[in-house]
Amino acid sequence: MNQITQEMRNLAKQLLEEEKVQLVMGWEKGSFWYNSTPVFVSKVEDVDKLIWDEFCAANLATYLLDDRFSDEKIALFVKGCDSRAVNRLVQDKQVKRENLYLIGIPCPGMKSAKAAKELGQETKEELPLEDKCIYCTHHNPLVYDILLGEEVALDDIAATAEVSRFEGVEEIEAMTPDERYAYWQDHYSRCIRCYACRNVCPACNCTECCFDLGQTWLERDVTPTGNQVYGIIRAFHVAGRCIECGECERVCPMDIPIMKLNRKIAKDIEELYGPYEAGLDTETPPPLGHYKTEDPDEFM
Amino acid sequence: MKGIKKSQLSNFLQQVSAKYSLYVPAQVDGVTRFQKYSSEREPFLTANTQLSPKELFFPQTEQLYCYETHKQEVKVEELAASSEPQVLFGVRPCDMQAIGVLDDVFLGKGYEDVYYRAKRANTLIIALACSQAEATCFCDSMGVDPAFAPQADLMMYETEDGYLIEALSDQGKDFLQEFSSALEELRSEKPQAPACELKAETDGLVEKLQKMFEHSVWAELSRKCINCGTCTYLCPTCHCFDIESKTRGGKEVKFRCWDSCMYKEYTLMAGGHNPRPTKKERVRQRFLHKLQYMPERYGKWGCVGCGRCIDKCPVNLDITKVIRELREVEA
Ligand code: SF4
Ligand code: SF4
Ligand code: SF4
Ligand code: SF4
Ligand code: SF4
Repeated sequence: MNQITQEMRNLAKQLLEEEKVQLVMGWEKGSFWYNSTPVFVSKVEDVDKLIWDEFCAANLATYLLDDRFSDEKIALFVKGCDSRAVNRLVQDKQVKRENLYLIGIPCPGMKSAKAAKELGQETKEELPLEDKCIYCTHHNPLVYDILLGEEVALDDIAATAEVSRFEGVEEIEAMTPDERYAYWQDHYSRCIRCYACRNVCPACNCTECCFDLGQTWLERDVTPTGNQVYGIIRAFHVAGRCIECGECERVCPMDIPIMKLNRKIAKDIEELYGPYEAGLDTETPPPLGHYKTEDPDEFM
Repeated sequence: MKGIKKSQLSNFLQQVSAKYSLYVPAQVDGVTRFQKYSSEREPFLTANTQLSPKELFFPQTEQLYCYETHKQEVKVEELAASSEPQVLFGVRPCDMQAIGVLDDVFLGKGYEDVYYRAKRANTLIIALACSQAEATCFCDSMGVDPAFAPQADLMMYETEDGYLIEALSDQGKDFLQEFSSALEELRSEKPQAPACELKAETDGLVEKLQKMFEHSVWAELSRKCINCGTCTYLCPTCHCFDIESKTRGGKEVKFRCWDSCMYKEYTLMAGGHNPRPTKKERVRQRFLHKLQYMPERYGKWGCVGCGRCIDKCPVNLDITKVIRELREVEA
């Protein structure tokens, strides 16, 4: 067992015993060697379920929305992306920071469960990273109450632009409108509208979602056009608030390159309003959520 | 036994597709599903498909009819296509069992769904025995023989040199007759049925679950579920749908589309009451439907052990683990 796992369990035990929190959210081992899955520990005898390994990609913060107005004290483990998700929810006033005990874990990058399944356990050492981790710019948690382990140097590497936050966007930008339409049509025609991308997303935190109100915004028939409309509406609804955690793309059962859309919008926002990454703190207002006199206004 | 040499497979498929609408498992745009055969389309036969063949009988979206109104008059036009004779090639035993479940639901108990029947009655199914089980397969725990699909019209077995083929139904016999020139005598033997590594122990489960509706275990089991529709949409036996309409020009089109008990809206009533307000009730519904209500009503499991939900659930809410936990807790 690794050191972090041991520390996780000790800390969870202590927090529950001292009644500092009623619930600890972490990861446990899933069905196969390549899955680690969310676990919810409220009893001391269950703390040994907790683990930390190279497959803990799932973002736990979204679960805070299950009971968003509760006053329960909750501890959760946060990697870089998870910590930005917590900031997202706090800034969007969905959860109260004071009800959370954040246990930061610097993240070396998670291994791809999909590749693991295909390549087999012998390749465990050489597995590629999850896509979301390849482009990650914040491996160290940005907000926490206590940190387990040592900060990793990856963020400095990312900051030197060796990690392209906007990977793949140029490819889309270089397309003609027709090519672009065909590209998205090809991908979204296989969307099954399961809404996993929305349900896992910390920026999709509306209590009533526009896709749940029957036919008002988007009809329920699953058509290539409707699916694209779905993808575009969702991308716009999270524009400027998307923390680029890549969870939507990771959970998509149809492997739709959702992050290309999100990254394109993030890039446009940087080009229009200057450098911005969502979820780094809870104070900086999202560029599309406020107004500055120097905002570009060439359409006026 | 008669069969098709591997080298002759595309020849055989071409002959069949000249006479029938032929669907084969194939990989298109990164997803494996049953697709209309064409000579450029290499059938994908090494594992089961990501999307189940249910979409051929019960498409995700199906237009039913449309109507126009002029003053007091209503003009109704049927839209659901009557189907041409079709052949499904390479359906796995678990999915064949699942089609049997759908038959019970859509055609059994005195009510026939005309849209389902139109397609199902016109379909001949050639099943393919599995020679290897994936890590997520557990069909042999759910009453399915991975090497035999009794409800299919024809059964195919992959061997070194080709595919042995035998007829199970009268339509299957006629089909073999029709394409006898494409078949030849193969010398190989039927392969052994694979054993699934993944297991689910199901004896006594129905009786136990009958007492567990109010059990606290559901709250625990459902915690990690994000209530997406992935498991139900990929499941070959899930069959819930919603009927809605949309207006196009002066026409109103009625369509039905898959729905999922995982969604909040699924049970939301006019006036705002929701009898399944949280994921506890929704997840309970999914598992009780498969493991209690279906066996009670139709005498068979609502899960055929195909493993799709285990493979694709974003949080690995594994039905075999759920079954294990349900067995372990006190009722
Ligand atoms: S997760 Fe993928 S398949 Fe599901 S709704 Fe989102 S884009 Fe479509
Ligand atoms: S849209 Fe995708 S990348 Fe952005 S916050 Fe939501 S899940 Fe994360
Ligand atoms: S796929 Fe998994 S997370 Fe999604 S509804 Fe099913 S069990 Fe829940
Ligand atoms: S519940 Fe899961 S394993 Fe069972 S038939 Fe449905 S998709 Fe397959
Ligand atoms: S579940 Fe059984 S029948 Fe289905 S693909 Fe796996 S081994 Fe074959």
